[in-house]
Amino acid sequence: MTTERLLELDAVSKRFGRVVVADGLSFGVRQGETLGIVGPNGAGKTSLFGMISGDLRVDTGDIRLSGTSLTSLSTARRVRSGVVRTHQVPRPFTGMTVFENVLVAAQQGGGLRASHAVDRTLEVIEETGLAEHANVVSGRLGLLSRKRLEVARALACGPRLLLLDEVAGGLTDPEVDTLVSIVRGVNARGVTVLWIEHVVRALVSTVDRLVCLALGSLVAEGKPSEVLARPEVKQIFLGTGAAVDEAPGGLP
Amino acid sequence: MIWVNAVIQGLLLGGLFALFACGLSLLFGVLGIINLAHGDLAVLGAYVAVALLPSVHTNVLWALLFVPPLFAVFGYVSQRTVMGRSMRSGPLTTLLVTFGLSVVIQNALLEGFSADSHSFTLGALTTRSLHPASDISLSWLRMGILVVAVLVLVVVQLFLSRTGIGRQIRALADDDEAAAITGVNTRHVAAIAAAVAFATVALAGLAFGTYAQFSPTSGSNLLIFAFEAVIIGGLGSLWGTLAGGCVLGLAQTIGAQIDPTFGVLAGHLVFLAVLAVRPNGLMPATVEA
Repeated sequence: MTTERLLELDAVSKRFGRVVVADGLSFGVRQGETLGIVGPNGAGKTSLFGMISGDLRVDTGDIRLSGTSLTSLSTARRVRSGVVRTHQVPRPFTGMTVFENVLVAAQQGGGLRASHAVDRTLEVIEETGLAEHANVVSGRLGLLSRKRLEVARALACGPRLLLLDEVAGGLTDPEVDTLVSIVRGVNARGVTVLWIEHVVRALVSTVDRLVCLALGSLVAEGKPSEVLARPEVKQIFLGTGAAVDEAPGGLP
Repeated sequence: MIWVNAVIQGLLLGGLFALFACGLSLLFGVLGIINLAHGDLAVLGAYVAVALLPSVHTNVLWALLFVPPLFAVFGYVSQRTVMGRSMRSGPLTTLLVTFGLSVVIQNALLEGFSADSHSFTLGALTTRSLHPASDISLSWLRMGILVVAVLVLVVVQLFLSRTGIGRQIRALADDDEAAAITGVNTRHVAAIAAAVAFATVALAGLAFGTYAQFSPTSGSNLLIFAFEAVIIGGLGSLWGTLAGGCVLGLAQTIGAQIDPTFGVLAGHLVFLAVLAVRPNGLMPATVEA
């Protein structure tokens, strides 16, 4: 694995009134890796994605993509430079078909024209297993398909860094496996993935490294098994000494 | 035969209402803006023609060439500035801003053109009409307006469903944050939607000026008719808007046929009846948000 850093957070801080969502947070995401993020509710995970994707402004600190600062760019500009997020609760354009949803992303986020955009759209729909739903109005999709669409739309933007926010949440075990294999495939073709997930089983089976956050601070960083074995991580997660692996199907 | 004529006049009037309502429906559907200045913008469009026509040509049809594009620019700029800014501080602020815009337009027009009413003259076209039977009169001008209304709705519909920008507008209408994370430049796209809406309202203003006399304060009435057409038809559906315009037009002319003073009231009553029986309108947008 190369150690070149694609994304770098440099002392990022953000607070909403008295709630601290990032407190001098610094870590890097290596080119080509899959980095998992775990942490209890309120640890600032989703806010972190907001700051990386541009939905939220950082108070202080800097976020850099390949050495270039992102913090002053709009969300749309960041998407064009390759930073694309998904939402925890899928947010398809409900009045449009799956195909149209992905096409908008391919044209705008991916900056592709005409037939290139259509090609990309079809590829991504195939890759995420949505082919049979391509002409379905997305408001009628079930949860798994909505999650697939959320990933498909992000992929159509041609990301260098894909930010996945709990794509496995709320799914059954076989469905989680389906999504995990999609994410592995995406990573295998060179897309760097930063993945927030409560379904620890899905993370551990996929990620190269793991970061644990709590109250906007970095608690631990390293190999998944090592991070989960750290007493402070166990403490945060379960409030007891129980091993994370024993939690059935993942953590609440 | 008198009644058949009333129905025909109602449908023709419906075209005008639909043209009015198109921009209102678009702004509300895409940007969530309830534009209280809508009627005044239409009147402003007519006055722009009054002010600029003499230096170009006396025929009002020439105004079609420059007033709608002018308003498209106006729409783009106001969305990028006043309206876009106010949207970020909540729906109440936008309501107040458009109300303020309405007051400013009315008073600026009073200042500039006095309270006298104006109308456009189209020469022979004003009165020329077909008479397929006694008591039935088909004004070329009014048929032209209906055709223009249908054309505008078809073009806007195609624009929204078939073009890249149109898809972006629909994406924005669905979920602006999700649109931003798929790379849509939301401010630019919102402003384009406003430009289209303003261009159609300018067209509607010109059409209105050929139908009736207008004065700086005509806008408030127009706003109510446009609202009624949109709501009768169903929010978020342009075909519904056409249907709504026609229902309102029919109610007004048939009402006026019963008693000349009853026309406008009949329109309001039908509007209330639709609200009571089908609060989502006749042809609501089919997919749940």
